[in-house]
Amino acid sequence: MDSPLAELLGKAIHSAHPIFASIELTYACNLACRFCYNPVQRKNQQRKEPPPAPGSPPLTFDEIVDVLDQLKAMGVLYLTLTGGEAIVHPRFWDIAGAAKERSFAIRVFTNGASITESTADRLAELAPYCIEISLHGADSSTAEALTQSKGSFERQMKALILLKERGLRVYLKCVVTRLVEDQLEQIKAIGDRFDFPVFFDPVLTISDDGEVYPLELMASDEAIRLLYSTSGLNIGNSPFEREPGEFNCTVGTGTIHITPRGDVQPCTQWKESIGNVRDHRIADIWQNSPLLEKVREVNRNLPGAITRTVDDHAFCFSCPGLSQLRSGDPMRPDGQYLRIARIRRRVAEEERTAQGKIPVNSVTGFADS
Amino acid sequence: MDKGPKLKRSLDVSWRTIEGQAVLIFNREGEVQVLNELGTFVWEHAEEALEDIAGNIAETYEVTFDEALADTRRFIEELAASGALVECKD
Repeated sequence: MDSPLAELLGKAIHSAHPIFASIELTYACNLACRFCYNPVQRKNQQRKEPPPAPGSPPLTFDEIVDVLDQLKAMGVLYLTLTGGEAIVHPRFWDIAGAAKERSFAIRVFTNGASITESTADRLAELAPYCIEISLHGADSSTAEALTQSKGSFERQMKALILLKERGLRVYLKCVVTRLVEDQLEQIKAIGDRFDFPVFFDPVLTISDDGEVYPLELMASDEAIRLLYSTSGLNIGNSPFEREPGEFNCTVGTGTIHITPRGDVQPCTQWKESIGNVRDHRIADIWQNSPLLEKVREVNRNLPGAITRTVDDHAFCFSCPGLSQLRSGDPMRPDGQYLRIARIRRRVAEEERTAQGKIPVNSVTGFADS
Repeated sequence: MDKGPKLKRSLDVSWRTIEGQAVLIFNREGEVQVLNELGTFVWEHAEEALEDIAGNIAETYEVTFDEALADTRRFIEELAASGALVECKD
């Protein structure tokens, strides 16, 4: 049975009451991750075209505070501060403080590599809802192959100690690339050592401006198999968690995203601008954007479309924003999701066969009775 | 009547009223509390005078002022004990 909070959030999402918002404070970053999807050139990214020139300056502090006021008035509860590296924004602490004064449950997305004793103290004072840190390896050479920043792994490990000492709630995340695929269990062990949950994500995001260089780092079939056949590795986006008739995700119904220059997007993954905070109130965009209405329709219809069109649909999640960005068709699951679904089905079938049970049904994902 | 210390909502508790119910997130403890309609009313007016809150409740819910005052005081004390309300030092 759902918790009272989950029930309430479900009701709110069905009535298109935005609960979640994220603000990309900056594209600046202290690392240079090879798969970074921000529309800026980082080291060794093989772009076909240079990133688009910024059309307008970043939002000022006062503009960001106005955004916070608007989001609060709309009823947004969970606010993610992200980047780039959010903490390197010159006014990060002022912005986070303003968010706290407005009673948001703050999630700070960070790579952790800039967290020192004093930063950790300030985070403890801020008392965010959670801090989410991305790990890219279980040792320095693996992590640095991706972050292209010497000492990043050691700084991250130091950050985990500092945050643990202060009792902060930390979640670890790992995007599974071919660089890190041999270290998944060691990364999980790092989380276990600190008692921080670790979440693995096998899907790579192409750049905001549609460049596909991140896909060069895609993990092997074997790594994806390991991910889905090893108990204890948490994978997000399980289609089993979705009931028939439910929305695919919260895009258009419960979430909204703001870029450093004030563009409003349906979510972090659906990159089309539905307006700019310098031109419109966010509530007006939320209520009146024709594109957002289209997004809602996609979100309502996508689970049914997946069921009709994908062989392994019981194992297939799909991010419509990623599909929109990559193919222009949000209803067509991206090839990464189809590949993962195929592997997941094979893993499920092999596990059931090994247990002497009948194979899984591709429609329900469970055994035929 | 002893009015007690003036209270304010703690900044360590994030909250919003969603679909008519206040959701309180105790960030330091990692706990969540969802209030019912009456609890939400008290929470939203918790920084006001106890008698004013009780008066509004008595009017809206057709209970006596004394009953409303006793219930409101008890709930405010619970909120203070949980850390959701803290003493206003301004």
